[in-house]
Amino acid sequence: MNVVRVSENSDPDNLLSEFERETGMERQAEGIVLAILAILAIWGAWQVPGASPGDTWAGIVPFSTSVALLVLSSLMILSSIRASSTGREMAGSESHGTVDILILFAIAMIYQQSFRWFGYVLPTAIVAPVVLYIFGVRSWVGLAVSVVLCPLIFHILFFVLLGVFPPYGEVFDLLDWLQG
Amino acid sequence: MEIFPALLSVITDPTLLFAIVLAAAVGMIVGATPGLTASAAIAMLLPITFYMPPLFALAFLYVIGKSGRYGGSVAAILFNTPGTAASAATQIDGYPLARAGKAGKAMKVATISSVIGDLMGDIMLVVGVGFIASIALKLGPPETFAIYFAAFVVIGSVIGKSIVKGLASALLGILVAMVGLDPISSEERYTFGSFDLSNGIGLVPLMIGVFVLGEVFAQLEERKKTKGEIKENAIDPTGHSLTYEEYKPCIPHAVRGGFIGAGIGVLPGLGSAIAAFISYGEGKRRAKNPEQWGKGALEGVAAPEAANNAVSGPSMAPLLTLGIPGSTIGAILLGVFLIHGIQVGPTLFLTDKELVYQLFACGMLGIVAYGVIGYFGATQVARLILKVPVNVLYPLIFLTAFIASYSARGSMFDVTVMTVAGFVGWLMRKYDFNVAAFVISFVLAKGAEETFRQSLLMSDGGALIFVERPIAASFILLGLAAMGFRIRSIMKERRLAEGGLGDA
Repeated sequence: MNVVRVSENSDPDNLLSEFERETGMERQAEGIVLAILAILAIWGAWQVPGASPGDTWAGIVPFSTSVALLVLSSLMILSSIRASSTGREMAGSESHGTVDILILFAIAMIYQQSFRWFGYVLPTAIVAPVVLYIFGVRSWVGLAVSVVLCPLIFHILFFVLLGVFPPYGEVFDLLDWLQG
Repeated sequence: MEIFPALLSVITDPTLLFAIVLAAAVGMIVGATPGLTASAAIAMLLPITFYMPPLFALAFLYVIGKSGRYGGSVAAILFNTPGTAASAATQIDGYPLARAGKAGKAMKVATISSVIGDLMGDIMLVVGVGFIASIALKLGPPETFAIYFAAFVVIGSVIGKSIVKGLASALLGILVAMVGLDPISSEERYTFGSFDLSNGIGLVPLMIGVFVLGEVFAQLEERKKTKGEIKENAIDPTGHSLTYEEYKPCIPHAVRGGFIGAGIGVLPGLGSAIAAFISYGEGKRRAKNPEQWGKGALEGVAAPEAANNAVSGPSMAPLLTLGIPGSTIGAILLGVFLIHGIQVGPTLFLTDKELVYQLFACGMLGIVAYGVIGYFGATQVARLILKVPVNVLYPLIFLTAFIASYSARGSMFDVTVMTVAGFVGWLMRKYDFNVAAFVISFVLAKGAEETFRQSLLMSDGGALIFVERPIAASFILLGLAAMGFRIRSIMKERRLAEGGLGDA
């Protein structure tokens, strides 16, 4: 992921210093996120009740692990500050396709939640062409076929052949309706 | 000697033989498909194996793992896109050979070297695993915890670009494993009052999320970078035969690579990528034609490929004898053992010795299977892969991830875990955190915690027990030394880079 992108028309010195600032900030942000996670984990471990006599505290491993994570996040923040000030940082992350991934993640979250409401078949029939479209399939016939084929094939493979009990839709279940 | 009756029993079981051949073909196709990994395929197929007998399930996934490692070389040679991290070393000489119209020759060298390395690794595993298990039986909780500690430190610090991020990934894996009821006192940890969380985070949805859905996210990002263009190279199927005279100079490199890979494979976490690059570097240093390396030397394909595949067998040794998976594939296989109610560790060789040796036998037959398929059919496999529409493949994988994670336990909570794990896995990849360290630490955490707390009980709460016992102390020192060496090598690389920039 670490790639330096240099435009031909840009002044290399300005571009590099701007880039270093961005990367230093990015690493600092990573350290801060980790530190927040570590503090939350320390707080969570602290909620574990104390040990009964002759036993060990159930929170000892979570607590020591989160303290170690806090130390590492502090190291990350310190090193990013130092790297920004000395201008040693040389690499950064690109943000290509991040919006698409966020959209796909949102679809994934809605898709998994919709199993609870509408069972497996209907959400899959809707999501399959949407995901195919996101990945670049532009054939309307192909997308239409996926509406039927994807839920059908997965249903046969997992719920018929493997005998897995399908999730039941609380609001409406197409499979239930089809089977009468 | 247990391996011979095991081989006989596997050879005489046609269903198992069919599964091995099928797994070899599937692993090769998956490994050769750019962007797909054997880990992803195994994680996706894991729920299906719930419905299979233990040996069948283990053999199927184990052979996919082996064949997938080899399959990575096909993508590296033909498409200039290594299917696995380890295949990046094969790409250095493999792709120039393909550009020079010698793709078939390079793939045959890769196949033969992979088979040599993999068989060497498996033979060393069969010979040495019983010995390691007998030693492991004598280890107490402090020693076992020290081994876990060394594994955490090595996995966190040696793999990946950043030691801090690697160790942080390992710690995050431990923290996620702590969610749920404490197995000793039944106290709730990180459950926030949720009943679903009190059962803990499942291994299967986590694996599917990180390796499968995370990979789909990563591929979407990759497609945006390349604007949907897939680099394709012309394949010339004619005139790519390999003679013995041509392969002869490769034999010492393949054998050396086999020893390097087997040696590295037995150490948890180091993995095949490190073995492949060390073998490549060592091969080039000793080569008679070092100037040819990097421009299309057949030896440059043989050395990393043998090492890459030799890792596979020995990486099972810490998994089977100590319950410590040495790789992500090992971590998934540990899940299969647990799902089928088989306790992995030194006692495995007392309770399920026959199963273990039958699994080794399946592995060896799997090597032969992918060797034959690869030698005669690698070009056809490559053609098939080029025909697979990637824009259809990844949406199908996306949909499979959901149903596969649901099928594991019929739990909708598992599907939610898988979805979140997928996004977290993509974020970790994007920001150079170590996904392998995260998953392996997640798997190791429970065992490590148990031995740590048993040790504390033994010593009435004193942590000095870990330094007072010599074996425990030496493993802790080993972990710290590995981290020290890694820091030193990073500092050295940085100084060299700065020197290089200064010269420029």
